[in-house]
Amino acid sequence: MPVLAGKELRIVGFLCNWCSYGGADTAGVGRFTQPTDLRIIRVPCSGRIDPLFIVKALLGGADGVLVSGCHPRDCHYASGNFYARRRLEVLKGMLPILGIEPGRFEYTWVSASEGQRWQHVVTTFTNQIHALGPTPVKDVLGACQGLPSLKGGDRAVA
Amino acid sequence: MQSLEDIKAKIKDALPGLDCVIGWERGWSPLHGTPLFMRSPEDVDRLTWGPFNVGNPATYLTGFKGKKVGVVVKGCDSRSVVQLLQEKLVKREDVVVFGMPCEGVVDLTKVARKVGDIALVNAAVRAGGTLSVTTPEGMVEIPWEEVAADKCLSCQYPNALVSDHFAGEPLPPAMGRDPAAEQLAALEAMAPAELFAHWAKVMERCIRCYACRNACPMCVCRDHCIAQTRDPHWLTQEDSTREKLMFQMIHALHLAGRCTECGECQRSCPVDIPILALRRKLNAVVKDLFDYQAGVDPQAVPPLFTFQVEEAKINERGW
Amino acid sequence: METAKFLPESSLEAWLAELASSGELIVPRREGDAVVFGPYDPNVPLELSRDATAPPKSVVFPACEELLRYTYVKDAEDISKTGMSVEEVTPACGAVVFGARPCGARGFTVYDRVFDAEGMRDPYYAARRAATAFVTLACREAGSACFCHWVGSGPADPQGSDVLLTPVPGGYVAEAVTEKGAALLASPLMAPAGKHAGEAKAVRAKAMESLDTAQDVSPAREALLAAFDDMDFWNRMSAKCISCGACTYLCPTCYCFNITDEAQGNGGTRLRSWDNCMSFQFTLEASGHNPRPTKAHRLKNRVGHKFSYYPGIHGGVVACCGCGRCIRSCPAGVDIREIVLAAMERATAKPQE
Repeated sequence: MPVLAGKELRIVGFLCNWCSYGGADTAGVGRFTQPTDLRIIRVPCSGRIDPLFIVKALLGGADGVLVSGCHPRDCHYASGNFYARRRLEVLKGMLPILGIEPGRFEYTWVSASEGQRWQHVVTTFTNQIHALGPTPVKDVLGACQGLPSLKGGDRAVA
Repeated sequence: MQSLEDIKAKIKDALPGLDCVIGWERGWSPLHGTPLFMRSPEDVDRLTWGPFNVGNPATYLTGFKGKKVGVVVKGCDSRSVVQLLQEKLVKREDVVVFGMPCEGVVDLTKVARKVGDIALVNAAVRAGGTLSVTTPEGMVEIPWEEVAADKCLSCQYPNALVSDHFAGEPLPPAMGRDPAAEQLAALEAMAPAELFAHWAKVMERCIRCYACRNACPMCVCRDHCIAQTRDPHWLTQEDSTREKLMFQMIHALHLAGRCTECGECQRSCPVDIPILALRRKLNAVVKDLFDYQAGVDPQAVPPLFTFQVEEAKINERGW
Repeated sequence: METAKFLPESSLEAWLAELASSGELIVPRREGDAVVFGPYDPNVPLELSRDATAPPKSVVFPACEELLRYTYVKDAEDISKTGMSVEEVTPACGAVVFGARPCGARGFTVYDRVFDAEGMRDPYYAARRAATAFVTLACREAGSACFCHWVGSGPADPQGSDVLLTPVPGGYVAEAVTEKGAALLASPLMAPAGKHAGEAKAVRAKAMESLDTAQDVSPAREALLAAFDDMDFWNRMSAKCISCGACTYLCPTCYCFNITDEAQGNGGTRLRSWDNCMSFQFTLEASGHNPRPTKAHRLKNRVGHKFSYYPGIHGGVVACCGCGRCIRSCPAGVDIREIVLAAMERATAKPQE
């Protein structure tokens, strides 16, 4: 796989417990090959996802963020993903003005039975992120590890 | 000005039934207006109207919960009042709105570009299309459109959208250019990495005073802002650009579909960081997706408070 | 100040380059529409025509500084025990600050009594203070928010500075205030002051004239204490305050700080950062109780601290340098002068019961 040939990037995935997390599980049980750049965070519903989670991940240096929830009309909590859809769409429109390519963030719907679809989503998104390359955020803000940013001790002026 | 006298008379009539009426008076320099909380007829006599009434008095409304207050508004301020009513953060029966047609307010940053240190200004008068500013070096006459706030040049709502008392002849919408849209377009024309570096650069001088937040009429969490909670720990105490930029995103995204573009965030910034572009972009996205403008219709539901099963403008992405 | 020198305008850049070559040089720079202090860079425009928005306080008292770093370490012998390794961080310092106004430099004298006094020396502050020199630029003219003369200072006050520059036609008259300052003036670019010394005197006299009549604020010490429980008074005074931190963070004499641990994984860092009495989190107790629950209480603290409590402890010295930044940069136009005068007026109008 071309993705695995190169350097691995950091992709954060927020997955709904009731569907996409199960879908990823199904893909695993089915032994579908997937790229390994994605790190999954399980959330109770796509409606739980504050768009700021995604911004925080991107500003923290994530190269990409993927959100996946239940298909519309199929939410475990009836309407969580409908609210999520609006919020995430607004966020996607907003990211370019921050200087982050909108392609670094995607949201989609995968049900618990759609293992193959999950494989397809992860592969496509990972390829997309590799096409964009590493995020410029780390170069501009510095790596986000080992607090603090050394402003106080090593540099005198804010 | 006759309409100012009329509105003063109306405020005096209404005062006995109100805790106070919020308006403006002259501040510490001839260029600065400052909020005025009118409680007696003598206070009302200090009320001013004109290009220096820059601040948005709607910011104070939620602080008077449970009390009946009056507020004098420009057209843009009235949008904030409408949005607060929409979100049921202010009760209609608890607020008495006094409106007057607004001919625009001054942008002091632009004045400083023309005359230098605005603390040295001795006098400032607007007459029609000119702002005359007197400094120790002499008087400078500046064309109004060069020092007016960006929002005023293309203002669509110069008259209060909601008012109980209105004095003066309503004005037509302004037909000038929209410099803020031009700035936004210039930012959007930049390459992503370059644009991100731009934000990092301008945010570096942020002092984290949160004036942008506290001046915002729609920032209603006030003392309970997530930017300052330890649990969850959204932001650290570090003096880093990352934290500063993250805060701007917190502020902007919490205003999605709610921002009335009064511009108080950018105006309040003591170090003049041009942060309004983030909000303007957000409003453009909301307008585009939901055909919605905040603070225009008291009956409307803000777009992120609701949903449609089939969204007209959101395409389900095929994967 | 007999060691007056003259620096021609044409030599200013050369002198700055000389200062920058021997250590960190911090100057007021134009960034966007703001004037802020930052490292000297010949490519970034220097702005001396007006006072910087933020004073140079962060050079000596940073907005955020690391005090120590820590890591939790598992005990290899007994894995139920966790130890901790702590690494102290010592401040890297040593800078020359060029171009602050006298009020901005004088602010440090207020800090010195708190952080660098006998018996209570803050090593971080003291190290930076000792290693920093201030080349201050006297004001030519007072603005409408200036009130340095109310608090015993003036447009050419040398307190807190090491060198005082006075702008005269064609250049600057430079006078050493301290030995540290005298060393900076040893540069060959400096000419004898000669006739310029007289010009400097005239410039200063003119600046002093541009200030209005000074108010005597010493009665504020008692007056503010008398108004302590008059919440009606404080509610009126603070009505327009929006509780942001612009006034405190830009203040050359505000020194309240907060200490927090910022943890990440098994380690973390202890930070000291500026606190701000306008914020709800200021003095918020772990129980959730806050002795200063409203903005009125908090503004009372800010004014009271500067004009009453601090003078009460430090021999009547007012903890305000009169720079007017809190007035100029307040988004709502809160004017500390009005509050102090109102408290004094209240005290004379209403005799103590």
